[in-house]
Amino acid sequence: MIRYEHVGLRYGIGPEVLEDINFQLDPGSFHFLSGPSGAGKTSLLSLMYLGRMPTRGLIQMFGQNIGELGRDQLAAMRQRVGVVFQDFRLLNHMSAFDNVALPLRIQGRPEKEIQNNVAELLDWVGLGDQKYALPNTMSGGQQQRVAIARAVITRPRLLLADEPTGNLDDEIGFRLMALFDQLNKMGTTVVIATHNQAIIDKFGHKRMILEKGRLHIEEPTKHGLRKRLEGIY
Amino acid sequence: MQPLIRKFRNTLSRDRALGVAKGKRRYDLPLTGGSSNSLLRLLIGLMSILGMLALAASFALSAMTTRWEQGLADKITIEIPASDSAGEMIAASSVQGMTDDAAKIVGARGDVLEAEIMEESHVLELLSPWLGEDMVMDSIPIPGIISVTFEKDTRPDIKALEAEIKEVAPRARIDTHENWLSEVARFTGALQFAAILLGIIISVTTLVAVAGGVRSKLSENKEELELLHLMGASDSYIAKQLQRHTLILSLQGGAIGVIGGAVLLFIIGMVAGNMGVNLVPDFKLGGKQRLMLVLLPLPIAALAMLTARFTVMRVLTKMP
Repeated sequence: MIRYEHVGLRYGIGPEVLEDINFQLDPGSFHFLSGPSGAGKTSLLSLMYLGRMPTRGLIQMFGQNIGELGRDQLAAMRQRVGVVFQDFRLLNHMSAFDNVALPLRIQGRPEKEIQNNVAELLDWVGLGDQKYALPNTMSGGQQQRVAIARAVITRPRLLLADEPTGNLDDEIGFRLMALFDQLNKMGTTVVIATHNQAIIDKFGHKRMILEKGRLHIEEPTKHGLRKRLEGIY
Repeated sequence: MQPLIRKFRNTLSRDRALGVAKGKRRYDLPLTGGSSNSLLRLLIGLMSILGMLALAASFALSAMTTRWEQGLADKITIEIPASDSAGEMIAASSVQGMTDDAAKIVGARGDVLEAEIMEESHVLELLSPWLGEDMVMDSIPIPGIISVTFEKDTRPDIKALEAEIKEVAPRARIDTHENWLSEVARFTGALQFAAILLGIIISVTTLVAVAGGVRSKLSENKEELELLHLMGASDSYIAKQLQRHTLILSLQGGAIGVIGGAVLLFIIGMVAGNMGVNLVPDFKLGGKQRLMLVLLPLPIAALAMLTARFTVMRVLTKMP
């Protein structure tokens, strides 16, 4: 579904921040992306949500080589990817409702469907009473939940999240992880960049580890795998 | 009743907050508000006023040329000079006799509608701007002048007529007004070219101002723009929002411009009338011309809209 072959990325004429990245994500897989600060996690995510184009190598997404796609096809491809940005990137002139509804409106979905789905999801993330609030009047945790709702509202085929539980207390953090897991079980491929070792350990998923621009994949820890098999969370 | 009104108001404001009030003006980018919108509106208003003035001037010039051409198309003037080839004055009675003979020849033609010998007083009146009001009549040779009007659409042989007249008045000259008319045509042509040039300047100014405005709007909202792009909004989806926004502002500016332009044209008409400017007697804008003036902001708004689209598309191509 997603295949990277010898992918490299550099900014301007600087050194490569990602070097010779090779991996494959199968449909419905779940990965944590981890590594020290500055290792290139955000850069790799930006390649995955097509915010940047690689300076070398081949990227295949959903069976298509992105280097061969036109602008409209790339836009359509981006619609199949949900992203939770580390800094949320909410539109401050729009209500929480409109922020969540935005991906649906971009896709041209009927207004009635938008009304129903957005209201339901906002209720689910515990923001049913904050529908009309503007983001800058909300707490960090609330903003993060709006960002997450916006990323999942279209049921994307690939969900990317950059430190999605950073501003949340443990309870809500685990609840959101459960949401990601549910989406994953429904067939969404999930990649979550996180420093949170507790979450990585608790949820038995593969780890993509970035170090100095290079990537390797680790199988889940025995502890996490056991918990996952036992369905503890 | 009161709770019902409150409920209705709440629904409206909620819809507005939701941006789903079948919001014909809903934008994903924060485009509304801000001084740049007022500036663009004002600029389009001013451009519309300038455009209206240029267009109205062009209509007036066109009417002026047409009337002069039509007025002189079937007319010639025969002049019987009051001096001989040596420059000696000819007796006034001889000039009068030659003029009468020439008028008889012309009057006998079947294609002549009217041949009128100009009164001496009228000739003097025409000469007075050059010679002064207090000229001594006896000291100045007054030529004989015959104004001839042919039947409409006849094509008289002027050379043959001149030869015929020269038999009774050897130094007679026929003026078909061609030289004067061609000079008038050149002059009005130059003025019309200036009006077209003004139209081009207006278009270019609109283009540059709108492109600048859109660029600054996009750079103000760079993060929001990037976000829409990353969420899969196509270039055309984003461009449509800026297009619509620019079109609405331009139409608002254009409406202001039409009102301003109409008031200005009315004032110019009044001032010109009071000053006795009568180059185009009874010139009034026709229905079609008025319609064109009123609709002038539409092409300006369309130009602004297309400029906005082109600018957004160019900015977006810099994104992957």
